[in-house]
Amino acid sequence: MLAYLVRRVAYGALTVLGVLLLLFVLFFAVTDPDDIARKAVGERARPEVYAQWKVNHGYDKPLFVNRAYAASDARRYTDTLLAEHFRRMLTFDFGRSDADDSPISRRLWQGAGPSLTLTVPLFVLGLVAGVALALFVAFFRETYIDRAVLVLCMLTMSVAALLYIIAGQYLVGMLLKWFPISGFDPDPSVAARFVALPVLIGVVAGIGADVRFLRTIFVEEMSRDYVRTARAKGCGDARVMVAHVLRNALIPILTNIVMAIPFLFTGALLLESFFGIPGLGSLTVEAIQGNDFSTLRTMVYLGALLFILGQILTDISYALADPRVRLG
Amino acid sequence: MRVSSEQGLLRGVALLRVLAIVALAACLAAAGCTNNPYPDEDRDRTVLYSSFSEAPKTLDPAVAYTTAEHVITGNVYDTLLEYHYLKRPYQLIGGLAEAVPEPRQLADGRQSYRFRLRPGITFHDDPCFALGGEGRRTREVVAADVAFALARLADPAVNSPVVSSFAQVQGFGEFGSRLAELRRADRGFARLPAHEQYARAGGIAGVLVHGPRELEIVLASPNAQILYWFAMPFTAPVAWEAVAFYDGKEGRASFADHTVGTGPYRLAVYDKQYRLVLERNQAWYGHVPANRDAPGAVFPSEIDPADVAAGRLDPAYAGRLMPFVDRIQFSREREDIPRFNKFLQGYYDDGGIIKESFDAVIQGDRLSPAMAARGMRLDKEVEPTIFYVGFNMEDKVVGAPAGERGRKLRQAMSLAVDSRQYLDLFLNGRGVPAQSPLPPGIFGYDTAYKNPFRQHDVARARQLLAEAGYRNGIDPATNTRLRISFDTSATTAAANLQFEFLASAWRQIGLDVEINATTYNQFQDKIRRGAYQIFIWGWVADFPDPENFLFLLECQSARSKSGGPNTANFCDPEFDRLYREMKDMPSDGRRAAVIRRMLEILERERPWIELYHREDYILSHAWLVNSKPMGISYPAYKYKDVRPELRARLQEEWNAPMRWPLYLALILVVAATVPAIRTYYRERL
Repeated sequence: MLAYLVRRVAYGALTVLGVLLLLFVLFFAVTDPDDIARKAVGERARPEVYAQWKVNHGYDKPLFVNRAYAASDARRYTDTLLAEHFRRMLTFDFGRSDADDSPISRRLWQGAGPSLTLTVPLFVLGLVAGVALALFVAFFRETYIDRAVLVLCMLTMSVAALLYIIAGQYLVGMLLKWFPISGFDPDPSVAARFVALPVLIGVVAGIGADVRFLRTIFVEEMSRDYVRTARAKGCGDARVMVAHVLRNALIPILTNIVMAIPFLFTGALLLESFFGIPGLGSLTVEAIQGNDFSTLRTMVYLGALLFILGQILTDISYALADPRVRLG
Repeated sequence: MRVSSEQGLLRGVALLRVLAIVALAACLAAAGCTNNPYPDEDRDRTVLYSSFSEAPKTLDPAVAYTTAEHVITGNVYDTLLEYHYLKRPYQLIGGLAEAVPEPRQLADGRQSYRFRLRPGITFHDDPCFALGGEGRRTREVVAADVAFALARLADPAVNSPVVSSFAQVQGFGEFGSRLAELRRADRGFARLPAHEQYARAGGIAGVLVHGPRELEIVLASPNAQILYWFAMPFTAPVAWEAVAFYDGKEGRASFADHTVGTGPYRLAVYDKQYRLVLERNQAWYGHVPANRDAPGAVFPSEIDPADVAAGRLDPAYAGRLMPFVDRIQFSREREDIPRFNKFLQGYYDDGGIIKESFDAVIQGDRLSPAMAARGMRLDKEVEPTIFYVGFNMEDKVVGAPAGERGRKLRQAMSLAVDSRQYLDLFLNGRGVPAQSPLPPGIFGYDTAYKNPFRQHDVARARQLLAEAGYRNGIDPATNTRLRISFDTSATTAAANLQFEFLASAWRQIGLDVEINATTYNQFQDKIRRGAYQIFIWGWVADFPDPENFLFLLECQSARSKSGGPNTANFCDPEFDRLYREMKDMPSDGRRAAVIRRMLEILERERPWIELYHREDYILSHAWLVNSKPMGISYPAYKYKDVRPELRARLQEEWNAPMRWPLYLALILVVAATVPAIRTYYRERL
């Protein structure tokens, strides 16, 4: 188990390094430090202002090779933007935003709360609703309820997320007037008012795929011998479905859950942006729009780290959920 | 095992019970639902609600330049001068200064302006003032605070984007160079607080402090436009304590994120990710008895009856002490659609019109009946802008080297472009077709003036092209259509459509215009090398004076010569002579005549094809009072007021939740599920 973990962490570290390199190359293939400086200080600033800004933010260095140093001097390669990029990310020194000069770590802390306010209820409610509905349709399999729900699931899967948001805001916020169309308030007593609609939309948008996936697992489990045995022993429907079927279907469900948990921190890009929730998803969208390389690379780096962490946790959770699984 | 019918029935009943509980919970939740994004206790308060899409990058008055930033800095930092809220063309009035100073001619062609500050002006209450004495929370503003603000503009470390506008202040550039040199030479000097560095560097020679309330600005040469800069937050008094204290260290905010001004509002909440809140400054200078007559402290009485009739202004406010609103709350809306929908629900007091809803809101250039029935008001204001197609006058085909041939080519191309159609197609008609660089509201603009080369006339364009030697657009040198390169840095699909519109207009007269869209840097590189023929550009004025438009065509500002904003590289000695004459003249008939002669040169030479002046459409609800648009980026919140009772009543009327669809959906779910449950258990029993 330990050897396996060490191997996985080593693979993960290599993946992270690859992501960092790819991010750097892709970003500077489509833009350059002058573009970043122009966005930051404005079109009408003087050349000296651009130059000073680049010095302040470390963008005055060459990308890969610093020819100011001799070929034998290590600084030829260490005093470059690429080396600085790796150094900062690997030491978690995220620096300051290119857009407004604010410390990125502070922005991460500020954004994590609003993101979690949205993503945790969205995740929990989505999971509970998906499992409950999947159990329900699996129980009534091959009836018109089952077929009708599956058709609805297909329909919900076929609609683009953006349409859910715009239609949801119009229908629930404008026509029915149940919730504010957008906005946010960190005060816990009123936060629910603002996250209710994005959570509702998020659950509806994601439930189709979840129900189809879970139903397949539940139906397969329901045909197993242990279910027949449980029924033969006099177990009620609810006990059969929850204590036996659901429990034995936990491994694939856990895979989904554990993989999703790390991403709760990175927020929901579209939902946050359209609902004006100042979370990390919004921060990422803003960084993309504003050529804010410092923030963007931090978000991508954290995303990659969390993804790898999720994968390792998934493997561990397999072993915990099913003693037959042995890692190594 | 066989399940008894009784057990089956019990399970069915249990399932139904669960359904009933879910339905009841949904009904209860629906009963408490509201789409009001604000706390109930704010219902009757005079709070003005607005929104912002782009967060301010900085609130440092020396650096803040965008409209989003000026909305905050302009209300928090009072300036020495202000614009009269109602008069057009725009007119300067005293702000923190008692009056608009008159120029004084000095020896060697120098000029000076002497400002006298009003008494009793204090900074906002802030802990930073403890640096000047224990327990101090504020202090009176002195002339040295304005000198400090000007020194910050010159400081290269501050990176002010407007530093070149003060180049004529005597010793301004030298002070910046001296500071940079001292910092390079002495690290200890560089670690000193800014105000000490400035003092040791000797200050700016042309900024003279004569006692606590007198400040003199000496210019190396006359520049009447300098006064406009004193109506902008760049020159607002800054407390040295605020800059020294808010250094971003040891948990303190940076000065870019923390304001300490003197304005009618103070920044109470600054979370640029979701909310900015301004609160009334109880110690504002206008409330000091000695300043009750200050023109910037009381609502002006020069109210146009047309504004009253349109509901824009309420004459009852004339002479009343400002500000009227207790709090201004800006909520962040990153997307247009939710912002506009919340405006329609009455949760924002004013707003723009999104293009998706333009036809529903505006019909026949007026508010649609549905919007008008809600009591909304539409205000239009032409912004001091000019959008134009420019020719590189150094190009041998389209520029001055081509002589009369090039001139006629430019005139023909100018006649081929229909600005009205351009505006209708791409901006929902929101703009005024331009006849010259000067927009309405700026001195020198003449409503009767029609530029003969800015009328859409394809036949005349073809004739001029033939006279230029390009009959039907054919270049006799190659015997093919004359190919011209249209260079741009805009690569979006929307921008490409606009360029295609222009290219097809020129295609109509036989020219082959190729659109070369590149990255911004590649485009800049082309501009630097002079490797371009035509380009599209825009200008938003810093201040409402014709000089701020006509300098864009002065030879000294030519891109190829000085890297200045004259990207067309237009150089005409007569135009330059008139420009120098006009620049410092008072806005009278003589100045108008000089401007007319300058426009005649542009009319003939055609370095630009003036396209349009942008027009802002602003929607306001009936409860928003005194919302006359200013056009220029200017903080006007102190003039505005709201009627909270009317707003609360209309908000309730417009936003009563519709609950029956929820009940209907629940009934449908139950109706569809119950038979299935019953059938299932009947079959299993």
